[in-house]
Amino acid sequence: MHSQRVKFVSTIAVLAIFVALPHASRAQAAGATLSGTVTGPSGQVVANAKISIKNAATGQSTEVESDTAGVYRASNLAPGNYEVSVAADSFSTATQSVTLAAGASHTLNVALSSGLSLGSLGFPQSETQGSAQEQARLNRRTHMLKVHQTLGLITAAPMLATVISGTFAGGRATSSSNRDLHVGLGSLTAGMYFTTAYFAIAAPKIKGTKTRGPIRLHKALAWIHGPGMILTPILGAMAYSQKSKGEKVHGIASAHGPVGVVTAAAYGLALLSVSIKF
Amino acid sequence: MRKTLLLAILVPAFSLFAAADSQWMLQSSTISYSASHPLHHFDGVSHAARGKGECHSGECQFLIAAPVKSFNSGDSNRDLHMLQVTRGAQFPMVVVRTQLPESEIKPGTVHADLQVQFAGQTAEFKQIPFQVAEHGKDIQLTGTIPATLTDFKIAPPTLLTIPIKNEIPVHVDMTWSSGQ
Repeated sequence: MHSQRVKFVSTIAVLAIFVALPHASRAQAAGATLSGTVTGPSGQVVANAKISIKNAATGQSTEVESDTAGVYRASNLAPGNYEVSVAADSFSTATQSVTLAAGASHTLNVALSSGLSLGSLGFPQSETQGSAQEQARLNRRTHMLKVHQTLGLITAAPMLATVISGTFAGGRATSSSNRDLHVGLGSLTAGMYFTTAYFAIAAPKIKGTKTRGPIRLHKALAWIHGPGMILTPILGAMAYSQKSKGEKVHGIASAHGPVGVVTAAAYGLALLSVSIKF
Repeated sequence: MRKTLLLAILVPAFSLFAAADSQWMLQSSTISYSASHPLHHFDGVSHAARGKGECHSGECQFLIAAPVKSFNSGDSNRDLHMLQVTRGAQFPMVVVRTQLPESEIKPGTVHADLQVQFAGQTAEFKQIPFQVAEHGKDIQLTGTIPATLTDFKIAPPTLLTIPIKNEIPVHVDMTWSSGQ
């Protein structure tokens, strides 16, 4: 009875060894090893760094620590993709990806950077975080002001021509063709002027911006040439009407010339205010 | 009793080694860029930089940062234009990192390798000379970083359709104080 029992146990044991052996040898062959050294920013070894090796497929993590020489080692890792994160006091946490092949030994040395961060400087998060939306707003503003600038420069030409042609349009000896040329140039100027103004007025405003520098003069002068550009054509139409009737320009219409000159001068000064450093 | 005494001496000593050996704090600074245009020359100045330095095993790491919008050229329109071309709303900080041997932080000239993050780009400037002067316990660093617009892939801003020069040297004047 006893010998039968021994025989049975021996048979089971032998069978168990036969069944288990191939699995054990396969596991040994499949298990990958990951090792390396953790260093600081100046190359010094970092002891007691916590290394977390996370299998990307299963989410299972293996945790090891670096020794006094900064060396860490994790064995019996299943082949696959891993995310390795290394954390240590006074350093920034480093995260790297690694692919381990079956049975391979992989070396991954990790250099930690200094623990200094923008947060450690005391800047509020609102100041350090960017905004793509705000950038798009700035881009749109710049684009519109560039168009404003270019159109503004081009407008200066018909404006100057209008002022010059005005000197031939108002006198007693002038012809109606001189007046028509002046009216045409004036109309072109007005059209271009208001298009130019639109691009400045409609350009997005940036919150919290305090106006300073020459742009203040540029904006202040708009309060002269802006109303001037409305008033001048009205006065001009009155003067034209009086002239067409053979009358001498009189009353408020006689202010057309001076108002036009002041408007053009303010406009020229506005151009110079942002072009030349005073 | 002797064990307690030994522990009382060793524990604080160990924590000192674990922490930074020494630290530097930026006390005050003037950082300015210079830009040139045929009709203008202007400087954008910021006093808003903050900085910190940490020294471990004789090596010091420094981090200095300033908001891009803190640079003032005396003209709000120009500053907004600069903010736009430097993508300052999307990347609001200019960040400088450098590493120096602690032994070199003394009066004289020190050469530093700088890593500058600005406008969404990172540029390296090698061996930039800085003058170091000692004022009591404080250290004053002055120098110029030879930055260009192309270093940071910045399209040059224009005035009257004429672009500014590519060179925008950055002048740095910083006062640091050391402490544990």
